[in-house]
Formats: sequence, structure tokens, C-alpha cells
Amino acid sequence: MWNTIMDFFPSWTVLIQGLFILVVPVAITIAVKWLGLKEGQMSRRGIKAAGRKGGGVPSAQKPGEKVQKGTPSSGGNRDNVQTNTGFGKEEEASGEVFTGRFQEDLQQFKDITRDMSDVSVREFYIGPLKIKAALFFLAGLTDKEGMDRDILKPLMYADRPFEGMTIAPDAASLKDILVHQVILVSEIGYTDHLMKSLQKVLFGTAVLMVDGMKEVFVLGTPKGRTRGGEEPVSEALLRGPRIGFNETLSDNTSMLRRHGKTTELAMISFTVGKRVQKELVLAYMKDIANQELVEEVERRIRTIDIDDVQESGFVEQLIEDNYLSPFQQIQNTERPDRVMAALLEGRVAILLDGTPFALIMPVTFSMLLQSPEDYYDRWLPGSLLRVLRFFAAFISLFGPSLYISFLSFHPGLIPTKLVISILSSRQGVPFPTLIEALIMEVSIEILREAGLRLPKPIGPAMGIVGGLIIGQAAVEAGIVSPILVIVVAVTAISSFSMPMYSAGITLRLLRFAVMFSAAMFGLYGVILFFLLLISHLIKLKSFGVPYVGVVVPYRINDWKDFFIRLPLQFMKRRPALLKPKNPIRKG
Amino acid sequence: MDTKPRDQITTGQTMIVMVNYIVGAGILTLPRTTVEAAGTPDVWISVILGGIASMLTGIIMVKLCQRFPGESFFQFIGKIIGKPLGVCLNIAIVVYFLSIASYEVRTVQEVTGFFLLEGTPAWAIDASFMWIALYLCRGGINAVSRLCRLIVPITWTIFLGVCLISLEVFDVNNLRPVLGEGIGPVWKGIMPAEVTFTLGEAMLFLTAFMEKPKKAVKVIIGGTAIATVFYVLAVVLTIGAFSVDGVTTRTWPFLDLIRSFEVDYLIFERFESLLMSIWIMQIFCLFCISFYGAALGLSQTMNRKFHNSLFVLLPLAYIISQLPPNINGLFSLGAMNGNWAIVIFGFVPLPLLIIAYLRRVGS
Repeated sequence: MWNTIMDFFPSWTVLIQGLFILVVPVAITIAVKWLGLKEGQMSRRGIKAAGRKGGGVPSAQKPGEKVQKGTPSSGGNRDNVQTNTGFGKEEEASGEVFTGRFQEDLQQFKDITRDMSDVSVREFYIGPLKIKAALFFLAGLTDKEGMDRDILKPLMYADRPFEGMTIAPDAASLKDILVHQVILVSEIGYTDHLMKSLQKVLFGTAVLMVDGMKEVFVLGTPKGRTRGGEEPVSEALLRGPRIGFNETLSDNTSMLRRHGKTTELAMISFTVGKRVQKELVLAYMKDIANQELVEEVERRIRTIDIDDVQESGFVEQLIEDNYLSPFQQIQNTERPDRVMAALLEGRVAILLDGTPFALIMPVTFSMLLQSPEDYYDRWLPGSLLRVLRFFAAFISLFGPSLYISFLSFHPGLIPTKLVISILSSRQGVPFPTLIEALIMEVSIEILREAGLRLPKPIGPAMGIVGGLIIGQAAVEAGIVSPILVIVVAVTAISSFSMPMYSAGITLRLLRFAVMFSAAMFGLYGVILFFLLLISHLIKLKSFGVPYVGVVVPYRINDWKDFFIRLPLQFMKRRPALLKPKNPIRKG
Repeated sequence: MDTKPRDQITTGQTMIVMVNYIVGAGILTLPRTTVEAAGTPDVWISVILGGIASMLTGIIMVKLCQRFPGESFFQFIGKIIGKPLGVCLNIAIVVYFLSIASYEVRTVQEVTGFFLLEGTPAWAIDASFMWIALYLCRGGINAVSRLCRLIVPITWTIFLGVCLISLEVFDVNNLRPVLGEGIGPVWKGIMPAEVTFTLGEAMLFLTAFMEKPKKAVKVIIGGTAIATVFYVLAVVLTIGAFSVDGVTTRTWPFLDLIRSFEVDYLIFERFESLLMSIWIMQIFCLFCISFYGAALGLSQTMNRKFHNSLFVLLPLAYIISQLPPNINGLFSLGAMNGNWAIVIFGFVPLPLLIIAYLRRVGS
């Protein structure tokens, strides 16, 4: 009796293994939770994560509850962050103001710009009455020609407006005369704050101070050095517009505007950065984009808490959903047409001053393998290319790991002749397949990285040296087998065919993980890794939108634009995943 | 408490989950178990009848669940037969789901150890499998159902493709004569077929998540019908290749069928490893569904957080999976599961439905 019961009782090793199976995931969960707590302490992202996990568009059933939860945190953030209402409150309170006494003001201004050698002051007299005036501007940023022509010249030659006057008019009428009859600049603002005017000067506008007036004129004449629109380097197309964004925000927004006439394209401006302030524009289509999505993006932009937002990559990293995921949840692009297409699907875009890379959100998995060309070409070639890219992504991810698992674990799966020829070519190789594959993969990654950094004329030479000579020599030296060189080469080429460079990097990163998994468990390991990857992708959300969206309810329609691209006339609906306000593309 | 179901799934999703819950490791052994019981090649009729029987029991369960929209069986059972009895029944069901999950893990371990990875420690195979399942299940029923939908095109294509190729070794004479020994053996074959089919008990908690619970009957009929096609295909092809006597002597007859041919016109020459690794995904789905069901049941019965009960059940599933000392023990665990299923899900729901009707609980 006892023996039978004891037979059923699991042995100690099993119990210990069971404990081990429990402890590892618990430890990982605790570690992730701890990370989340740490993050909450260190940044305001934590507030966001607690308030509204998973983002704005409701994927669960209680949007109302979610919104309520989200509001307090966003309200709390709003106080600290300045939107585009001008400059900080503290400065307004403590900043000194212009007094209207010319010499005093001039001295004051010179004092605060003492350590800024590039701020220039030009003193002059206005018109025949010799009213004292001074123009402040920044040497490199202000459009000097325009300033001379449209501000200095009319002011100094201003005879007609002052005809018949013998003494200077009072401040109000002088202002009136100057604005309405003299200054030839369309953009005019006024301020009486010293710091505020300095800030304007430092950004390239000219500031005009006139004797007797408590306000100064802020005249918009900035001319930053801009780059013309060139063909985007990171996303080349054979067919399609040849223009890419540049580093100037106004140029970029105007490129979007120029795409076509629409009154629905909203562009909301934010100021980001605590120490170095920069302008950021949130663009979306008013009648398409889901309101909750827009609000969520706005809210996340307000949580950005950093002294300088150097590039849109900073924005991307600070507002993405899951920073532990290897997949990018926000797409970056240099192409205005791509941004426009995304906006018309109901997505939202962020443009940042000083970078040619715009951000598109939310991202779904299929976007990583799409190129605008798919839509510009006819549907059959477009579909072919897309299927090809899916295949390439598969190879790029699993190529070397399949080599490892077939050779080390399941040679019986591939045709016998092939096995024999591979094995005979591998005879001299002293390493196991994993080491062999790692050697080649690592060296090809180094080659790629080196080719990227080298000056352009040397780049191709590098490819030849690396690809041909090292590959050939490595085979002849017996370090790797020729089949592996083929596998690695095909893998590398496949990863180049990703239309998104950053998506390619993700695949490269994961490829190494699969290789280790394959070396441990063979094909079983590859399958497990695939399952893990899918599980992760399924759970991943980008701004509340499921990352692998195609498998979500009711989305048969979105399949039309996944593996294949159906003719345009069949794609009547916008992606339903994004819950656009207006689901039908008007014909 | 985190016990209330938050997310919902559509009818289509539920149907695919249902198919994935029925079709799993059973397909590898079903030809042998039925033929052993019946002894004639007519078992494919038994499989079809088994499918119909499991539809019927499934419909009863669905009808029961539809009386309590938005609540899972674990939640409303107390209202029908009182709390103490309800808790006992719930625990029995949790143990059942857990044991199904364990059976699947152990099958993966056995099959992988035999065909794919000789010499890899069993716990390593199990552990990585279960950790990924845990990771997935933490995403809730939506994650599980989406995984099923993602897996299905891959596994079904490869399964059907391999079946097509195996027509090479198919001999229709092995299936003849139809009903040569009358209807008697067919009846005997129903029992093991039923064991493999299960009785649609996943609907007990799936109905609660459905967006349109009214369509749950459709789900059970459609899901079981699709699963029946798979099982009939497997049984017919295996018997057609090996004949009745050949099937009974093989441990994994369906895998042996795939092993028995080689093709020289494709990239792969032999397919058993390929099918095996693909089928692991299918088994993974089944494991996730039943593991999810067990954890959901535990959390709703005990009123504990769902995530915690996932963690608690994880080592238990492993320990149960290691209880059978060898492969025969594993098969008897499977048979035991099936018998339990027939007791719990075959005989209990109908009285429950009647009691609920008489006591006028639920809508």
C-alpha cells in the first residue's frame, strides 16, 4: 500500500526541478517590476506607465475607466511643461523689463549679452527726427540682407511718415507709424521683457528698440542655414518623390503642406527640452485620426523631461511603450510621402526641429516590411516584392540558426547528397557549427559597421576586401565551410532588403539569439524562439494598438494590405486597427 | 481583484481556439488507440461519431454557460449547486485542465527526446517550453487566441502538405472492407476517439470571453467539425499506409507514417522532424489553452490574482508531467484524463442545466 503511494510521489530531483522552473520566471518578473519601479523614480515616464498602461486607444473594453485614470497624471504633468505658449513663467516673473529710457535699456541689454559675442547691436536714428533706435541681431542667424533692406533702410529713410512733425510723436502713435508705414516685415511681435527679447534674438529674429517706447519690436527675419531637400539617404526608392526632409522644421512642415491641398492637416506645436528648447510639431489629419490617439500622443509628449532633445530618436525613446522590447514601436522616416500616407491611414506624426527624421506612430508589424514603392508600382509587382521581403526577413532571422540546427542535430532532414557534400566540405573545420557560424556572422557585422563609417570612396573597397578576400581566405584556411559562407552571405543580403534600416537591426540582433537557441535545442530551439517571439509581438502594443494587428478581430480587411497588396480600388477602408474617425477612404 | 475577464474574443477567434484545444498531441496516437480498441479499419467512422458526440456534450455545456453571460463556469457554478459543492467541482476541473497541460508537456518531452533531441535533459526541454507558455498566458485570453490564429496557417499548411505527400504510400485496400465486421467494433472505437477529442470543455470558460455568446453553439459545432477532419485524415492515411496490424505495433503511428516515405523532388527529403517541430507549435497552443483554463479556474475559485495562480500552477504542471514513469504511464495518464473528462463533462453538465432551469438561476 505505502509502496504504491510512494511510487506516485515524485522524486526529489523532480521537485527541485519544479522549484527551479518556478524560481526563474518569478525572478525575471520581479526584476522587471523592480526596473519599472526604478524607472518610475527616475523619470516621469513612470507616472504615465502607472496611469495608463498600454496607451490611448482602448483595446480593453472600458475606455471610460482608462481615461479617468489617465487624466490626473496628465493634468499633473501639464503644469510643469510648457506648451507653445511662449516662455517660462519663472522668467516672466523675475525678468527685467524695458523702461523706455534708451540709454538705460541699451546698457541693460549689453550687460546681459556681455558673454555672447555673436549678438550684435546696431544703433541708428529713425528718419529726419533723429529718434534714437537700436537693432539687436545675431550675426549668423539673422538674414542680414533682408534686415538691411526691409528694416534699416526704410527706417533711416523714413521721411514721408514724419512730414510736418518737429518733435517725436508719443509712443503709441510712433508705434503705429512704424508698424503701418515703415517696417517692411510681415512678422511683427512685441514684448517688454528683456530675457524674452534676448531669447528671440538668439533664435535669429531681429529686435528693434526705439527711444521712448516700453515695448520692443520683434521682427521675424531668421534665416538659419538650411539644406535643400535632397533624396533621402536611408530610404532610397526607384520610383517615387525624390525629396526628403531636411533639418529645418518649417521646411519640413511645408513639405507636408505642399503634398496636396487639404484643410484637415493639423499641426500642433510643442516646445520640448528643459534647458535647450526646441520646437516639435505633432501632425495628424483632423477628420481621420482617432481623438484618443492624438490625446495620448500629446500627453506623452508632455511627459518628456530632458534638458535637450537632440534628435527625434530621443523623442522616440522617451515616449515609446516598451523600452525592453527589441522591436521599434515608432517608425522613423525621412520621406514626406511616407508620412503623408501614414497620416491618411489615421496615424500621427511628430516632426522635430533640427532633424530630418520624422516619427510615425503607432506602428504595426507589417509597416516594417512595407515600402512606399509597393503602392507606387502596380499591384502585382508590389505584392511580389512584399512577399519577397517577408521571405527575406525570415531568412535574415533564421538563416544561420537553421544551418546550425540542421547540421548539428538533424542532418537527416536535408537530402542525403547535400549532407554528404556539406560534411565533406566541413571536414577540416575544427569548430562546432555554432562557433563557426558566430565567427562568420560577427565578422560580417563588423564589416557592415566599418563600411558604414568609412568615407564614401573607400566603402566599396571595404566590401570587396571583406566579402571576397576574407570569405575566400577563411574557407581556404579551413576555418569555416564554404556552405556557411553562402548561408551568411544570403542572410546578410536578406537583411539589406529590409526597407526600414532600424527593423533590419532588430532582426540582426535577434538572429544571434536564435543562433544560441538553435545551438542548444536544435530545431526545437528555433521553434521555441519563434513562439517566444510571436508571444512577445502579440503582447506588444504601440500606443494602444496591437503590434501584430492583422490577427485581431474583424480585420480581414486589413489582410488586403499585408502579405500582398491588392489593387488600390479594393483598399477602400483605412486600417481598422487604428479606429479612425472616418473608416472609408473617399474615392 | 484581477479575476474578472476583461478582454473579449470574437466568434472566429473562439472557433480557432477550440480547434487548437482539440487538435494536439492526440493526433500522433489516435490511430493506434482507436484501432487497438476496435480492431477493424472502420475506426474512421468511430472518429466521426466521436466528433458528433463531443459536439453534443459541448452544446450542453454551452447552453449552461449561456444562461450566465459574461461569467465563466468557475464563477456561476456556486449559484447552481451552492458554494461548497461548486468549489469541489471547480478544483476537480482545475486539476483536469492542469493534467491535460501536463500530458501535453510530457508528450513534447517524449517525442522531442525521441525524434529531435536525443540526450538533452528532459527538464530543460520542459522548462523552456513552459516558460514561454507562462509568458504568453500572462497576456490573457486575447494573447492566447491570437497566437492560435497566427500558428494555424503555418501548421495546417504543413500538415495538409505532408498528408498529400503521404498519399504515395497510401493503399485504399487497407481500409477495406468497410463495416466488414458490422457496426460492433465501431462502437468500441468511439471511446478512445472521444478521449482524444475531449468534450469541448474549453467552452466552459471561453464562452465567458465571447463578444457574442449567442454564437457559442456555432463555435462548438464548427470547431469540432474542423478537428474531426484532421483526425479522420490522420486515421485514414495511417491505416491506409500500415494496415490495421501495422498501426497497433507503432507507438507514434502518425509520425511513423511521415517517416515511411522519402521524396527527392523537394528541399527536404524526410519530413518527420519538420512535422514534429511544427506540431510542437500546435501542442504549445493546446498547452497554453488548458494551462490558462486551469489558472483562470484557480484564480476565480480562490479569488486570487490570475498572474499568481499562473505561477503557482507552473511547477505543479511540471511535477504532474513527471509522474508517469515511462511512455506507457504517459498513455495511461492520457486515458485517465479522458475518462475523467467523460465523468466530469459528459455526465455533470446536463443535471446542472436541469437544476439551473428548475431553480431559475441565470437568464
